[in-house]
Amino acid sequence: MRSPIRVTAIAILALVLGAPGLLPENAAAADKLRVVATTTDLKALTEAVGGDLVDVDSLARGNQNPHDLEVRPSLMVKVRRADLLVVNGLELDLWAEVVVQGANNPKVLPGAPGRVDASEGLLVLEVPTAKVDRSMGDVHPVGNPHYTMDPGMAAQITANILNGLVRLQPQSRPAFEKNRAAFLAAVEQAMGRWAATLAPFKGAKVVQYHPVFVYLFTRFGLVKGGAIEDRPGIPATPGHLSRLIQEMKQERIKLVVVEPWNDVKLAERVAQEAGAKVRVLAAAVGAVKEAQTYLDTVDYNVRTLAEGLR
Amino acid sequence: MRSLVGIGLLSAGVLMSAPAAAQDVEALRQELQQMRKQFEAMREGYEKAIDRLGERIQQLETRPQPAAATPAPPGLAPAPAVAQTAPADPPAIAATPLDLARPRQPFALYGNRGPGQLLFDMGVAGDFIGNLTQRNVDKANAGTFAGRENRFFPREIELALFGQIDPYARAEVRVEAGEEDQGEIALRLAEANLTLLSLPFNTQLKMGQMRNRFGLLNSIHEHDRNFIDAPNVLRWFLGEEGLVERGAELTWVAPLPFFLEALVGVFNGDNEDAFGRGKLSEPLVTGRLRTFFELGDAGAIQLGASVASGETTERHRNTLLGFDAKYKFTPVGWQHPLITLLGEMIYQIRRVNVLGEDTNGDGVPDTPDQTRVRNRWGWYAGGEVQPFQTGWLSRFGAGFRYDWTQYPVMRGREWAVGPFVSFSPSEFLRFRLGYKHTERATRDGFGDNESSARKVDEILFQATFILGAHPAHPF
Repeated sequence: MRSPIRVTAIAILALVLGAPGLLPENAAAADKLRVVATTTDLKALTEAVGGDLVDVDSLARGNQNPHDLEVRPSLMVKVRRADLLVVNGLELDLWAEVVVQGANNPKVLPGAPGRVDASEGLLVLEVPTAKVDRSMGDVHPVGNPHYTMDPGMAAQITANILNGLVRLQPQSRPAFEKNRAAFLAAVEQAMGRWAATLAPFKGAKVVQYHPVFVYLFTRFGLVKGGAIEDRPGIPATPGHLSRLIQEMKQERIKLVVVEPWNDVKLAERVAQEAGAKVRVLAAAVGAVKEAQTYLDTVDYNVRTLAEGLR
Repeated sequence: MRSLVGIGLLSAGVLMSAPAAAQDVEALRQELQQMRKQFEAMREGYEKAIDRLGERIQQLETRPQPAAATPAPPGLAPAPAVAQTAPADPPAIAATPLDLARPRQPFALYGNRGPGQLLFDMGVAGDFIGNLTQRNVDKANAGTFAGRENRFFPREIELALFGQIDPYARAEVRVEAGEEDQGEIALRLAEANLTLLSLPFNTQLKMGQMRNRFGLLNSIHEHDRNFIDAPNVLRWFLGEEGLVERGAELTWVAPLPFFLEALVGVFNGDNEDAFGRGKLSEPLVTGRLRTFFELGDAGAIQLGASVASGETTERHRNTLLGFDAKYKFTPVGWQHPLITLLGEMIYQIRRVNVLGEDTNGDGVPDTPDQTRVRNRWGWYAGGEVQPFQTGWLSRFGAGFRYDWTQYPVMRGREWAVGPFVSFSPSEFLRFRLGYKHTERATRDGFGDNESSARKVDEILFQATFILGAHPAHPF
């Protein structure tokens, strides 16, 4: 009788050798560049540039807060097969480094050709100009990382993605550029509509739960009006909420926006006290059911803001 | 006299309440004013930066392009209303002698120190333990933290430095200080290793001193673990510090649609509790298989099997087999798991020397010295629940652990049960309070100082903080 160890070893070997047959890939899929993006926003923007020539997956789901994603080995499986990894950068998705370390894929290591930091070249908002420490909460020391919320950043983000794709598949440059130009034209067309929708509310203050929508506000002339969190990542204290409600009343702030995973009931209590409304914005593609593409996400956020401020 | 003081305090309170309210309003006004100023400053900064970039683009467009320039690909120009905030790939500009004379990295770092400028990450983790137990347990040094009963002490103050060495390798160095006996602080090298990241066939090689990837908890530092104290089975079979060895580990992630990681390692075998031979000529060999499955959107389970086989100080073989499982249930939209369950089992096959016995009491052994195999085992299972999704209550958790283990060499066994509650004001600070009851099947071996401790009751407290960088925790 064979020993259990030998039987197990044979079973594992058979599994590994038979692995290609288990992989859900056909010949056409094998020719495509396999891209993994850390967030669904970057997945959508990569698909916009790569079109049919890429197969894109994301590590965070749209309904997951990308600040603090649990590093599951299933994420390592995705990165293990990737030709290109697109990260948000600005310390939003630092967890991706742990995923990469566990994936044993040298193609996507930091500095490798298969690594794209989508934040390169962006004008980053809220970069601290003085010393920061954690008494200020879970601050981002290199600036606010939620730039994908601003459709005006799409040109630069997609340029970074395009450069990464071209590095790996230079022969497809014309196709990538064509896809990107078509996508930016669609953004351009929608931008006029979005700007017109929010134009009547220019200068209006909006309270956020967590400062995720600063780029979106800045793009369309809205003003950040405090946050429900005491400090980033720190739950609100009664004293903070009391001050916030007073400020909202004094400043006549009429809207509180939250991400789907925030404490909506708390936001509703604050809004009720201050005589404001609460609206859930899509903090990522796929965060709400109306936001399944990048353009739909911006569209939904703009419509929701306008409706909330009306 | 007391009544006079009370009246005085009451009067002072009444007199101060009105100005305090006025001060609040004034403070809020000042805060508001300050926020307005900050916003104006931010807007001005933004506009200036846009102007500067515009000027730069104009300058670059009017300047003749050098042949080596690699501008952003054609077609990248943003549509007019889509403001591209910076050029994607700035054209290369011929360097002037002045440019060449300027200090460059890494020397330039000293002039530009700031976020993102450090060449590696560093962090400090502090882990303090307090425990209260019975007097006889204290006297017998038979508590969970032997020799530190009824004390509050630093268990593990860790300075961690980690980062990329170059494009092909990363390194981590961890130095720890902690109390080992009453008042005695020991400083030790906890880990120092490098990992080669870009080896062929999707393998990685980690070499140096490391916490071995044997089972679930051994590779995790104490401040990051799910429980206040190390499970009894790990303390008995791997020692107080766990399996920390010098050598190398090779890992391979299988090209499968699900996660399967294989690991083999070769080490000195310095751990005196389990091995202790300490020679590469008779190495400690380790192996591990780990797999993981998502169970729907919310559930996930990790399963592992480990082996460590080496020689003891008696030059006999000791083989440890480990089996582990961890399950987490994280409802969609939650930032932390609602339920975490985990457990490990260790099975030991160890040959030991047994001295001859004096059966007739004449002081001379009547049976010869011999070697025997000790097949011993133990396990633990535990978990934690964090029942609230958001708000302050989400920072609370409650958990438990049950331990059962035989002793690796001597006769007997013990079991323990320990519930605990935890509170984390933020991601970087955590407090735990727990109770642990241990019962041993024997007094032998737990009788220092003419005392004994078969039953042990302990109240345990843990305070943990993290300063600076701390890598995300694996599943």
